[in-house]
Amino acid sequence: MDVMRHCSSFLLPATSTAADSDGVGGTAAPPPAYALVLLNQRLPRFAPLLWQHAQVRMCADGGANRVYDEMPDLFPDEDASAIRNRYKPEAIRGDMDSIRPEVMDFYRTLLCILVAGALGGRFDHEIGNINVLCRFSDTRIILISDDCLIQLLPRTHRHEIHILSSVEGPHCGLIPIGMPSKSTTTTGLKWDLADTEMKFGGLISTSNIAKEETVTVRSDSDLLWTISIKKPGFASQHEVHKKSI
Amino acid sequence: MDVMRHCSSFLLPATSTAADSDGVGGTAAPPPAYALVLLNQRLPRFAPLLWQHAQVRMCADGGANRVYDEMPDLFPDEDASAIRNRYKPEAIRGDMDSIRPEVMDFYRTLGTKILDESHDQDTTDLHKCVSYIRDSTPELNNSNLCILVAGALGGRFDHEIGNINVLCRFSDTRIILISDDCLIQLLPRTHRHEIHILSSVEGPHCGLIPIGMPSKSTTTTGLKWDLADTEMKFGGLISTSNIAKEETVTVRSDSDLLWTISIKKPGFASQHEVHKKSI
Repeated sequence: MDVMRHCSSFLLPATSTAADSDGVGGTAAPPPAYALVLLNQRLPRFAPLLWQHAQVRMCADGGANRVYDEMPDLFPDEDASAIRNRYKPEAIRGDMDSIRPEVMDFYRTLLCILVAGALGGRFDHEIGNINVLCRFSDTRIILISDDCLIQLLPRTHRHEIHILSSVEGPHCGLIPIGMPSKSTTTTGLKWDLADTEMKFGGLISTSNIAKEETVTVRSDSDLLWTISIKKPGFASQHEVHKKSI
Repeated sequence: MDVMRHCSSFLLPATSTAADSDGVGGTAAPPPAYALVLLNQRLPRFAPLLWQHAQVRMCADGGANRVYDEMPDLFPDEDASAIRNRYKPEAIRGDMDSIRPEVMDFYRTLGTKILDESHDQDTTDLHKCVSYIRDSTPELNNSNLCILVAGALGGRFDHEIGNINVLCRFSDTRIILISDDCLIQLLPRTHRHEIHILSSVEGPHCGLIPIGMPSKSTTTTGLKWDLADTEMKFGGLISTSNIAKEETVTVRSDSDLLWTISIKKPGFASQHEVHKKSI
């Protein structure tokens, strides 16, 4: 019968587990991969320590309320908003009958789902994937290929898009997917829109150029934002300076 | 409401369209007059077949690089120079910021018209080519004109969408965007549509997309999941991953729709081969 070893190393400071044996199997065994699940009870006072040890952290339904409300309490000298942003679960799962709507919204907007492999190939697949962005318009979802990325800019917000010119751009576009847009206004583009109407069969903004570090967009309609991704060789600012343009 | 008939006969061997009906307008109607536009993406593997069907072939800017570089690759046993001379576009149009100088010189020497439109930044290269074909090729019978476009899909999404918008802008002209994986065309709301499915070369995966505006009512026949006065819109239902079940699919809608169907990979070229395959 094999031996199974146990050690509550997750109660020790997080840095000590790398250097020393954590006791699971002795010095020869690899340290455990911790995951943390938070349920809907008062957080233990050492919740931040458990969080540090874990590679994956998730909440079961109202456990998200606990993290939102009580994690800042465990850091009374720090800014609550900074704590909330730092202690962000990877997932919240459950029947969602306990989580408060504003807590769900907070974590949803922090959540950004990156999707690879949604573009190219069969067009109906591609469009079906784009429709998922429209169906989940309150969730940040970014479709990514070798050539470009696409995300939805919901009409409910003004948008500020910070352009990382070492890795993306300058080619970009704004597309009124699904319905015409009576009015869109932008700043930071080579061909800015000024209360401009856009629709299929008429004007849509493609092959535009992101000129400034920040592009702003305001529209009466959900728009797709797309920007090109730079090919290898533009991986760092250092390399950009070295290249002749 | 008039019927508009559709058939992807450009995917069949070129010799068969002359002898048989291709479905556009039925046996009595003349076959379509194909024109081919090549944009700046990898040539589809059946580019030579499209070229054969077309009466007019032109390149949009860097599409000329593709013909120059990649057409010889599709004929690995033949002399590259001979292939380049054979597959000579009638015209190259666009803002000329992608075509390589030596490629432009090569085709200019062969007699290809070079139409530099770099002053016009308001329209895409495809738009410029469609305008040219509509306005400047009297030898094509415009009532049966069907413009095939290779290289419009994939790559940068804003390019792809800009090319799809050309279909919407020229909604009275048959334009088909073609890739190795699928084709896309506009079904204008002004007509009832009969789409003859050539199951040896296309399908069964297909879709109907209300590009540009929601559709209050679409009705189809011949699909696995037919629409019956069904509403479609982005954010709600759109018909993707559908299956063309019958030989003819019909579509009637209050809105312009994109029709898309998959193109079969080689190996399904004939019914005979399909029967031989074990499923």
